[in-house]
Amino acid sequence: MKRIGLIVNPVAGMGGSVGLKGTDGNVEEARHRGAVPRAKDRAKIALALLAKSTDLAFVTCSGAMGEDIIKEAGITGYRIIYHYTGESSSADTKKAVRMFLKSGVDLVLFCGGDGTARDVFDVTGSDIPLLGIPAGVKMYSAVFAVDPASAADLVLAFDRQNLRDAEVLDVDEDAYRAGHLKTRLYGIARTPVLAGKIQVAKQVYEEPDEERAKAAIAQFMEEIMLPKTLYIIGAGTTTEAIARRLGIKKTLLGVDAIRDRRRVAADCDEKTLLSLADKYPDTRVIVSPIGAQGFILGRGNQQISAALIRKIGIKKLIVIATPHKLAQIPYLYIDSGDTVLDREIGDSIQIISGYRIAQRKKIHQ
Amino acid sequence: MQTKILLDEEQIPKKWYNVQADLKTPLDPPLHPQTRKPIGPQDLSAIFPMELIRQEVTTDRYIDIPEEVRDVLRLWRPSPLYRAHRLEKFLKTPAKIYYKWEGVSPAGSHKTNTSVPQAYYNMKAGIERIATETGAGQWGSAMAFATMLYDLECTIYMVRSSYAQKPYRKSMMHVWGAECIPSPSIKTNSGRAMLEKDPDTPGSLGMAISEAVEDAAGHTNTNYALGSVLNHVCLHQTVIGLECREQLAMVDDYPDVVIGCVGGGSNFAGISFPFAGDKLTGKHKDVDIIGAEPASCPSLTKGLYTYDLADEAGYTPLLKMFTLGHDFVPPSMHAGGLRYHGDSPIVSRLVHDGIMRAVAYHQSEVFDAAQTFARTEGIIVAPETSHAVKSAIDEAIKCKKSGEAKTILFNCSGHGNFDMSAYDAFYAGQLVDYEYPDELIRESLARIPKIQ
Repeated sequence: MKRIGLIVNPVAGMGGSVGLKGTDGNVEEARHRGAVPRAKDRAKIALALLAKSTDLAFVTCSGAMGEDIIKEAGITGYRIIYHYTGESSSADTKKAVRMFLKSGVDLVLFCGGDGTARDVFDVTGSDIPLLGIPAGVKMYSAVFAVDPASAADLVLAFDRQNLRDAEVLDVDEDAYRAGHLKTRLYGIARTPVLAGKIQVAKQVYEEPDEERAKAAIAQFMEEIMLPKTLYIIGAGTTTEAIARRLGIKKTLLGVDAIRDRRRVAADCDEKTLLSLADKYPDTRVIVSPIGAQGFILGRGNQQISAALIRKIGIKKLIVIATPHKLAQIPYLYIDSGDTVLDREIGDSIQIISGYRIAQRKKIHQ
Repeated sequence: MQTKILLDEEQIPKKWYNVQADLKTPLDPPLHPQTRKPIGPQDLSAIFPMELIRQEVTTDRYIDIPEEVRDVLRLWRPSPLYRAHRLEKFLKTPAKIYYKWEGVSPAGSHKTNTSVPQAYYNMKAGIERIATETGAGQWGSAMAFATMLYDLECTIYMVRSSYAQKPYRKSMMHVWGAECIPSPSIKTNSGRAMLEKDPDTPGSLGMAISEAVEDAAGHTNTNYALGSVLNHVCLHQTVIGLECREQLAMVDDYPDVVIGCVGGGSNFAGISFPFAGDKLTGKHKDVDIIGAEPASCPSLTKGLYTYDLADEAGYTPLLKMFTLGHDFVPPSMHAGGLRYHGDSPIVSRLVHDGIMRAVAYHQSEVFDAAQTFARTEGIIVAPETSHAVKSAIDEAIKCKKSGEAKTILFNCSGHGNFDMSAYDAFYAGQLVDYEYPDELIRESLARIPKIQ
């Protein structure tokens, strides 16, 4: 029996339909503009597909945060372990997830957007896997299923052995409303992968296990790393594996610099990276795509700016990703803030995906 | 409007053509993996019959095909040469496209052209059993068919990723009485060592060759047989190009462009060597000969021309060839027959000398070309063959742009009837465009044994 903690953010996605670009802190304004809740309907699609399963036991929250939807979907095997009053809030989400964890859930299934993902991740960390039914305005984090039906498939096939890393992104709400997308890598959660996809993967992937794929990429990177060359290493677990192989500590969510198997700078900002590139003329950058959309530059790695790439040269940019990550994202994205540079990179890019193996992946234009 | 150009059975070539006779300088000799000195016939006699060793090194221009072998070849040879009228019309090209259809053999590919003579010579030498390897299964099924004809036992080490992808190839081998084992296996020392290093390895041709060679070397009644790369294999395949030259002469034509897909190089050698000979001897200096290889395993376009081992474990001689390094394990793409780190030494030499050239393609673009071919000419080709189809289409499109009415000939080396899961993956958008990160990799090639 799989124990699932279900939480719905009832107001998620309301802002989008009325041009608010996000609902956090804007619920009243969204209602005033005529927005109607959509999270409930999205969650219900997924839950209705789970209703027949006899292998699932749910814990959830009262009212619109879970109970109402789970009942309407026809699920009977559930317990309410968190009660809230009034308008649900970010604090309610966190408290509820804490209760879920105490009750021993295997997976937290949430319905919402990036804000909800952050709240859930704040409690679960990377210890308990989470999965998002997409219902928010912004879903840049990589913890969301493609659609509610896919979320149901992932829950049914859930197995703690089939998990992948998934970036949770922090979007600056005020900047976003002003028309600027500013994101930073908030954390790295664990999320389920379809077992069926892994089976297919055995035929066409170079490495069925994601951790082994990371190790294979790291082995190749170690092999091609040149002496007296500075390597700027972007955020994430795929890049972290390189440092681990070299026996170096790496800032998981930040950008570090390595030279001759030694860390020369940690958690660098753009200014530091530019000055390092001045000091070491032969500098290369190793990054991995971030978030649900797979951004190479411009999201989660903003320290690695257009100015830095221009300074070192496009050809010195090395992109790495596991086959599992690449299978989730049909296109890669680049939004360095310098559209000329973005175009110079071209309409496809080579991604190192294994030991001496690469994939050619299209860049969304 | 003639579509099929056919020869009579009596026109099956009576001799194989040996392009070594027309090379300006001799091939660099194979070297012993331990001593690094040129090997002699005695070094190979543990795993090959003497007649094949002789064919490997001879510089005689023509070698007689035994009548007993020609009798078997009659089952599918001469193979038809097709004029691809429908493809030409679809492409709106002024080019004339011809394809040699080798999928008519019992095993469905060109591989039987050499499996039959190899089994024959082993039988004549008193050998009772053959150990061999197979990538996509085409060679394995061809060898299973040939050993059955001469009442030999046959053990086939099949690259593990293909073993899973193409179960019906394995079934064919069983029908013809052969034993098929996924490689690496626990049956050999080299297989056990590879599994210990990486229990989940998808395998590679290099690994499977090591297992088969070890098996043959360890059993006195057993010889080894290779489906590609070696000179005698390329020699046997020249029936393809020799027939093509006759068939084109029947319609008063000669190719401007000759194309084949390249893994180890045997089907490419088969269609192209007679034309390469014409080029080397000055009869047709301008014929453009193109080998089409996968971008994920691009030995001719990205490899180094140097001595390297032909297998993973180091049992085989060192061959002078284009190589990505014998320890390179190509990704498990669908054209399993092209997953080989090296190339035929003769093909390598001809590419190196500029007699031939090579192009590399990604998986999805070759399947797109194969779909075009299936929807115009009707034949669903093997993923390996689709590389040649893609190159032929590219050349025809170039003609459309330039207005040239070139004659394009390509080898349609095998059918894809056991590769439908690959086509399904193509339609599901699941094909991964693997490629070889050559710019980053040059340092790693430094581990190839250095031969002065």
